[in-house]
Amino acid sequence: MDLQIKRKSVKAPVTGSLVETYPHDLQMYKVPPIEKVSLQEFETLALERLNLLRSLTNATTLKGLRMYSEEWTEYVLNDLKTLGLKYYVRLCERTACGSTEADLQARRKDHIAHFILRLAYCRTEELRRWYIARESELFKMRFIIMRGDTVDKFFKLNNLSYTNISDEEKNSIITYLRESTPHQNIDTLKYYKVKFFEVLDLVRARKAYLKGGYAYIPHKDFISVLSAQYKKHLKHSLAIAAQHLSEIEQDERLVSLLKGLHQTYTGTDYSDTKSVVPIESLDSLSVKSFPLCMRQLHEQLRAAHHLKHGGRLQYGLFLKGIGVTLEDSLRFWRDEFTKIMDLDKFEKQYAYNVRYNYGKEGSKRNYSPFSCMRIISNTVGQGDCHGCPFRHCDVSNLKNRLQGYGLDSQSIQSVVEMTKKGHFQIACSKYFDAVHNVDLGLGINHPNQYFEESQKLQGEKKGDTKVQVKNEVRAIKKEQGNDIEDMDFDEISEWKE
Amino acid sequence: MMLVTLRLATHHQELRQHQHGQTNYVGQHDESMLSDMLPVYYARLFPQSVFCRWLSCGSSPQPLSHRELSFTLADDVYLRYLSISNQKEFQTLLQKKCPYKLDIGAVYNTKPSIGRHDAVVLSRELVFDIDLTDYDEVRTCCQEATVCEKCWKFMVVACEIIDKALRDDFGFQSILWVFSGRRGIHCWVSDFEAKTLDSPGRAAVADYLCLIMGGDNQNKKVHLGSDNLHSSIRRALTVIDKYFEDIVRDQDFFATPEKLQNLLKMIPDENLRSQVQTNLVKSTAPSLEKWHSFVNLVESYCKENGSVGRKLKYLLEEIKIQLCYPRLDVNVTKGFNHLLKSPFSIHPKTGKVSVVFHPNNVKSFNLDEVPTLNCLLDDSSPSHGQHQANMRTAVKTFQEVVFSLEKSEAIRRRNDTTQGYRQEVFKTDGDCPVLLRIARSKCFCKTLYLHTEYYKLVHRDFPFLWITAFTQKVNEV
Repeated sequence: MDLQIKRKSVKAPVTGSLVETYPHDLQMYKVPPIEKVSLQEFETLALERLNLLRSLTNATTLKGLRMYSEEWTEYVLNDLKTLGLKYYVRLCERTACGSTEADLQARRKDHIAHFILRLAYCRTEELRRWYIARESELFKMRFIIMRGDTVDKFFKLNNLSYTNISDEEKNSIITYLRESTPHQNIDTLKYYKVKFFEVLDLVRARKAYLKGGYAYIPHKDFISVLSAQYKKHLKHSLAIAAQHLSEIEQDERLVSLLKGLHQTYTGTDYSDTKSVVPIESLDSLSVKSFPLCMRQLHEQLRAAHHLKHGGRLQYGLFLKGIGVTLEDSLRFWRDEFTKIMDLDKFEKQYAYNVRYNYGKEGSKRNYSPFSCMRIISNTVGQGDCHGCPFRHCDVSNLKNRLQGYGLDSQSIQSVVEMTKKGHFQIACSKYFDAVHNVDLGLGINHPNQYFEESQKLQGEKKGDTKVQVKNEVRAIKKEQGNDIEDMDFDEISEWKE
Repeated sequence: MMLVTLRLATHHQELRQHQHGQTNYVGQHDESMLSDMLPVYYARLFPQSVFCRWLSCGSSPQPLSHRELSFTLADDVYLRYLSISNQKEFQTLLQKKCPYKLDIGAVYNTKPSIGRHDAVVLSRELVFDIDLTDYDEVRTCCQEATVCEKCWKFMVVACEIIDKALRDDFGFQSILWVFSGRRGIHCWVSDFEAKTLDSPGRAAVADYLCLIMGGDNQNKKVHLGSDNLHSSIRRALTVIDKYFEDIVRDQDFFATPEKLQNLLKMIPDENLRSQVQTNLVKSTAPSLEKWHSFVNLVESYCKENGSVGRKLKYLLEEIKIQLCYPRLDVNVTKGFNHLLKSPFSIHPKTGKVSVVFHPNNVKSFNLDEVPTLNCLLDDSSPSHGQHQANMRTAVKTFQEVVFSLEKSEAIRRRNDTTQGYRQEVFKTDGDCPVLLRIARSKCFCKTLYLHTEYYKLVHRDFPFLWITAFTQKVNEV
């Protein structure tokens, strides 16, 4: 295997022995590998790293552990052990800078695998985001495990030199530092001054003292600076890799391998569905098959005849994902909204939004329905009722709502317990079980996945009838499909006028 | 011009005939008259020259014409991707289109009318939008679009807190505060660092300033934990304390048992909640007195129950914040190409001018004295003089901000040229803000522009990235 293509962005070619190339367990992956790799090794390394990245997601979403907590790291390490990825265990368990042959080989594999996955994950924006998120989690996890002089060596190797602020300067702001930095023994710590945009995660969480555009951080918090730099570097390298993708794709052996890699793990893209769901069935579907977040939005819409922007986006894309056509969607929103406003206002202010969701307006991108992670991390503001109900609801409100749905108290209790612990997706899965009267314990990470699982389950229960209904609906909808296109043309020309 | 004034006069007469008997018709805003009055306003009163200087300074190093403007015309006809290259063009455009609403967008790598959806955003002022409708769950005097002197105090608190944080914590200097024309305020930060801040950076600043989180399904929206309070929160609380009693008195937060429920819902501890309920629900005392007895209850409860009390350590602060802390529309701040109403445009619904004001004077800002289109143009109106004077003050405040911005921009440029941009490329590769400074200098801009076509395909969501990618190329050469 020749990694010729990547040599273009190499600053200095790697020379010398492995000791020189890989002096430290943790690396910033600035220089790509240039040695020969067999096709088989290429494949194994890629799959093994994928497994590693996947266990990171599992720890966070399936187990609901707090990121970078001890249990989290422990879970990841155990997972790696059961998967038999000894060299990753070695690298992650005690990040150090030894120079035994095993160390060096582990680092070499880590290095090559990282660059292979870059190729596999540079293809689309969505993939890039996933990959960057996982890789920086990995980086941060490994950095946190590092101790004392290993850290110093890492800084030295990567030419990261910072000078701490003088004692006078520190003493003049010591009270603020005590207030604003969540660490013990502020007096003995050395403080450094960096621009606020270098430590955005600390700024966001209000964990550093800010003054005049500078953040004052102790040595411990340098991981923020580093991981921000690392992320930026990765983002930029992935973009470059994406440009050179066509060169790689001339080698068919790699194409099939690389394309196959990512599909299995980032989850399905729900932006293009084959099935068709008529809007008349939404009321009953919302009770039977909608996840709580969407059921809540549906009910809110029916009750108030209006949703704020965040809600329209989240719910509208979900509807698209389950198979509501653009035409139906327009009709659905129009019927509801015109109960409190006139048609003219709806057409002017809201119809654009609906068409936009279907990629018919603005940048004309076919937007994917939101995943659970996206919904959970969304900001929910005044008057909003979107978001994840397990994350964005008071426990008492949630309880009332579930009681109102007629769930039995025991399952309500189990849902609420998970919510309190912050395991939102597990709570959702418990809710799924309670509604469907089963005990599956699914891993839910997409509202549309929830919907499909639920439909599948109900299809099994009812037997063939359901499928037939679907086929009929599809046949009818096909005729209407032509109308939609005609209508769109009219509207577009109107818009231009 | 004569013609327009004449037409205005006849319109007035008709009105007079219509509503004889009423005396205050002149001051009343009438949307149907906008199309007559706006051209006069734009020609005579709108501070075009300062406005263009502000925009071009805010757009540099890109030319003024790369800035997007958008107009909303009569009957909600919406025009996006407009641009102007100088004041003259601006004047012609205003006269030709007579926009009811005037919005300002981002600075692109090309003329927005050419680039449209493919254009790349290069910079944008850091903006904040605070709207009184977001206070509807706490304010009791008004709802929705209405606004009065009492609820304006929320804006006073908001302006003071945000202004201090932007200046002290983030070190920004060029901060412009604008009345939105109806029920809120906008803030524009034009410092170079703010303008070129990337999306994650904007989101972080917004989150740093945002303490009230949660939608309709959450009653308690502020959680401060039990560790030390961050210095910025302490500072905000001192500001809130200055106005808190006034606001409690004005808003009468806890007057009726129903209103008291809102307070009770914010108490997480059940025992304390029932204590407060039994003590306060029957009381007919004014809200402020109720608040004082509530404070006493909480304090004694915390003393008695050590471990539970620790969880309630900042309960009082949390409630104060939920009632009074600024409620930002974070999406406006986070987004790069969110359009925002321009200073000195007219609010089509109220006829009020979106005047610029000095943050130190926000306390004395009087909603009734905000210049309105009618009073400014009609010299027979009793408040004509007052409104004209206020308009002049607003323009002067605007000028001051623009001049100081121009000055600091000039200093920044001089520093850059002396340091030599090329050296910087090699010194700090991978550091975004430095690279942007390089992109600023003119000879680079042309080359960069050529490369844009190539890179923008890949970096749709992250406008600065292609510059980094480009300097990589420079390095290799």
